[in-house]
Amino acid sequence: MMAAIFEKRRYRDFDWLLAILATGIVLFGTWQIYNAQPTANYWQKQLIGLAIALVTMLVVALTDYRKVVQYAPAFYIFGLLLLVIVLIPGIGLKINGQRCWIGVPGVGQFQPSEFVKIPTILMLARQFGKPRQGPLSWKEIAIGIAILALPVGLILLEPDAGSALTYFPLLAVVLFLSAIRLWIVIAALVLGLASVPTAYTIGVKTGFIKSYQQERIKVILDPENADRRGYGYHTWQSILTVGRGRVFGTWGETEYSQSRLKFLPEPHTDFIFAVTAETTGFVGSISLLIAYVLLLSRLFSNARRAPDRTGMLVIMGLIGGLAFQIFINIGMVLGLLPVIGVPLPLMSAGVSSVLATFIGIGFAISVRMRRFVN
Amino acid sequence: MKFFEDESQNLRARFATIQIIVFALLAVLAGRLYFLQIVRGSYYAERAENQRIRLLPIPAPRGVIMDRYGRVIVDSRPIYNIILSREDVKGKDLSALVEPLSQGLNLDPEFLRERFEQMRTMPAFESVRIKENATPADIAWVEAHKLEFPELRVEQQPQRQYPPDGLLAHVLGYVGEISPKQLEDPKYKEKGYKPGDIIGQEGVEAVYDEYLRGRDGYRRVVVDSRGHIQAVLEEVPPQPGQDMVLTIDLDLQRAAEEQLKKMPTKRGVIIVMDPNNGEILAMASYPTFDPNLFSQRITTREGRAEYAALLRDPQHPLYNRAIRGRYPPGSTWKIPMAIAGLEQGAITVEHSRLLCGGGILIGNKFTRCMGNHGMPDLRTAIMKSCDGYFYRLGLKMGIDGIMRMVDELELNKRTGVDLPHELRSWTPSPEFKARFNPRDPQWKDIDTVYASFGQVYEFVTPLALLRAIAAIGVGGKLYTPHLLKEFRPVREMGPFPARPGKVYEQPAPKIVPIRPEHHKLVVDGMWAVVNDAGTAARIRMPGFDIAGKTGTAQVVSLGKDVGKNKDHSWFVSYAPAYKPEIAALALIENVGFGASYAAPAVRAIYDVYYEKTRGAPAPQLAMNR
Repeated sequence: MMAAIFEKRRYRDFDWLLAILATGIVLFGTWQIYNAQPTANYWQKQLIGLAIALVTMLVVALTDYRKVVQYAPAFYIFGLLLLVIVLIPGIGLKINGQRCWIGVPGVGQFQPSEFVKIPTILMLARQFGKPRQGPLSWKEIAIGIAILALPVGLILLEPDAGSALTYFPLLAVVLFLSAIRLWIVIAALVLGLASVPTAYTIGVKTGFIKSYQQERIKVILDPENADRRGYGYHTWQSILTVGRGRVFGTWGETEYSQSRLKFLPEPHTDFIFAVTAETTGFVGSISLLIAYVLLLSRLFSNARRAPDRTGMLVIMGLIGGLAFQIFINIGMVLGLLPVIGVPLPLMSAGVSSVLATFIGIGFAISVRMRRFVN
Repeated sequence: MKFFEDESQNLRARFATIQIIVFALLAVLAGRLYFLQIVRGSYYAERAENQRIRLLPIPAPRGVIMDRYGRVIVDSRPIYNIILSREDVKGKDLSALVEPLSQGLNLDPEFLRERFEQMRTMPAFESVRIKENATPADIAWVEAHKLEFPELRVEQQPQRQYPPDGLLAHVLGYVGEISPKQLEDPKYKEKGYKPGDIIGQEGVEAVYDEYLRGRDGYRRVVVDSRGHIQAVLEEVPPQPGQDMVLTIDLDLQRAAEEQLKKMPTKRGVIIVMDPNNGEILAMASYPTFDPNLFSQRITTREGRAEYAALLRDPQHPLYNRAIRGRYPPGSTWKIPMAIAGLEQGAITVEHSRLLCGGGILIGNKFTRCMGNHGMPDLRTAIMKSCDGYFYRLGLKMGIDGIMRMVDELELNKRTGVDLPHELRSWTPSPEFKARFNPRDPQWKDIDTVYASFGQVYEFVTPLALLRAIAAIGVGGKLYTPHLLKEFRPVREMGPFPARPGKVYEQPAPKIVPIRPEHHKLVVDGMWAVVNDAGTAARIRMPGFDIAGKTGTAQVVSLGKDVGKNKDHSWFVSYAPAYKPEIAALALIENVGFGASYAAPAVRAIYDVYYEKTRGAPAPQLAMNR
């Protein structure tokens, strides 16, 4: 049956480059997961996750995205439902004080906040995908904000600030490409930049920003003198791990790596890039960055060739989400940004994250396959 | 794509803007990577190395201590210690550990608190021993609480083992951890001691610490973030310390301690010495203590209580009476007096008779003799211990003569024995009287009389007295008493160079001028004390001529000398009388006459010595007088 669907023309138009790049990064990541935790079974799980993700991607790619976008509200509501369910004690599993997992008997557990990004993008694309006439109205902006606010609000209740943060670029990109007035963009930027220190000061004074969060920010500004044993520990150890890789990495001697000696926390998930930098050195980590650049470039090219605005916005939303998450995660690993629990797309161990990313890539392929069709 | 060409929305430019922002952010990451891995790579690599590599010392065993025949007295055996790693408790609230650790490991909470305080004030502590000699139960407790207290680890370490019954305790001394105060002392600083080092704190352990201590080895290990050892990269085994051979003869030492234990008060000193070279064959001070308390139990609750009890004990068991006890010498003082009287010309061999008179009247004060000996010669005066004779001899010599005698025999100096804290004896002089009796500071004839019978103006350490008597015995050679015979060499090991052996170097003895005829006359008197009808005739050994002198030192004035305040009993001697091989002294506190306790105690030592050297049981007197 697969072969029947996969007829010759589609075989030719299928975006092999994108699929191979994404798969390659996941395989490379699996190797790093193995380096980080060779005794645990995370790397095996990751391979199983990749297999599931590839099949899912294929199904999504071969489906016409326009039909899916039509039903976007249904998916969106279903996603919101999942986000509500995860909050129910007994169904939602509490790990490290956050209730962001749903356990499925016999399958394992998954993280709805990873998946709901997709219906959110589809919903935004549907809303802003119609041919535009003139600049964005306030009402349209308000609708966009509302679409985003519902899932973000629910995720903040888990509470998972890191995941919630990754939703904002979806809206930002879509609004920016929907002829939002430039002065609003500039005003938002200026306001945003100015409000960061102000909000920080107010947050500290009102106690909204906890002292450990303050420490995590201090360590970025001056890692050498920060509390390297307390809240600065993660950042400092991550910097050491990355630096230790030097030009060519440590390769063979993974036995006494930072992660094996348990100096580096969460080496297979949030800090997988540090493991990569340690084992493969500058050569390996810069190669990974280039792979991301190639992947994003391909997505940009697909977006530019999209048959309609909707397709373009789906891909651009995806790009916004991916690029933002890559920057936040690696920036954290390299000590540029405070510690925020955001996985590195395609690299970090976690089936939910890989699957969600591959669904997004499936849409990008679907859009590309329909570039000549009207 | 029509929608894309829509210039009215600036879509192309906006699209490009997003592209630029995305790639610019990735470029920032690439720049940061370049900085961390290439510019600063080696720095961070080193920092990472430092946190994973640790040098763990392997404590070296100290040298073994043996008696003169190579019989082991003190040894080290491996034990397990519980260590608290400082690295892992940085920033932790240590006071929260006191309760669970003292409960789990049976430790004195006060001790733990002190330990933590030390850690806080002394950054040099890498790790701290919190329990020595951990039992299997303690080790199991640490293993079981690994998650709760990851800062604890178990380490093997050699521990000093002393004889369990306090044998030779005052000579051996003990080891203990270097104290914060000692660490600041330049004397220790120069030698490179570090916190946590176990060093000799008393006795020969302290005096010869440099030789006895080994050179610590180390292990270079990889640890994980909790300080648990993952791999050993390099191991340098320690070089043990030099084995020490003492001059002590364990047979004589045991005999001496048995004698003291048998005495009614169980308090006293027995010293046995080779008069020909100053080698100390036995040195027993009673009551004694268990040095294992300091090397093994001092960190436990019970051990600390035991130590406090020792300090409070009115009998001062920690005190080495041989070098720190100052006792009036009583009649033993007559031997130096006799030699000096002859040498100074107060009496001569031909004309040595002086009146006894049952005592002497100076002004309106009569000082009595224990008997009435008529007009004895020197031999008889020594044999019968005639006080009246020596009162008059003292007056003839004068206080200057007595002071010269003290100088010649170095009775006013430390003997120079290789033990710490030796005290100097007090000897008669006008200055001493002025200090001792400020209400009547003038030196009078009566004081000279007092100074000549060893009761008022002299307080001597047993070792100083034995040294002087032994010197008289060998005709005037004053040797330095000592305990070290030799240190055995240690061969080269790894980075540690070989350590050469060392034999005790006896400084040239001080020559005390004694003319042979004077020497003979005094020895005749001392021989007669035991072998004629003298004060110690009951200890005579036919075929082994003991020369000696009894002494009875008054503790309080006559009439009150009963019970607790009984006199001290002395006996100083050497044998054989005319060719001395061995000198022995006994002082038994508060038991009464010298002849009744001290002399038989010394005799028991000679019995053992005789059997050892003559290969036959010691001759007994047919009839015990």
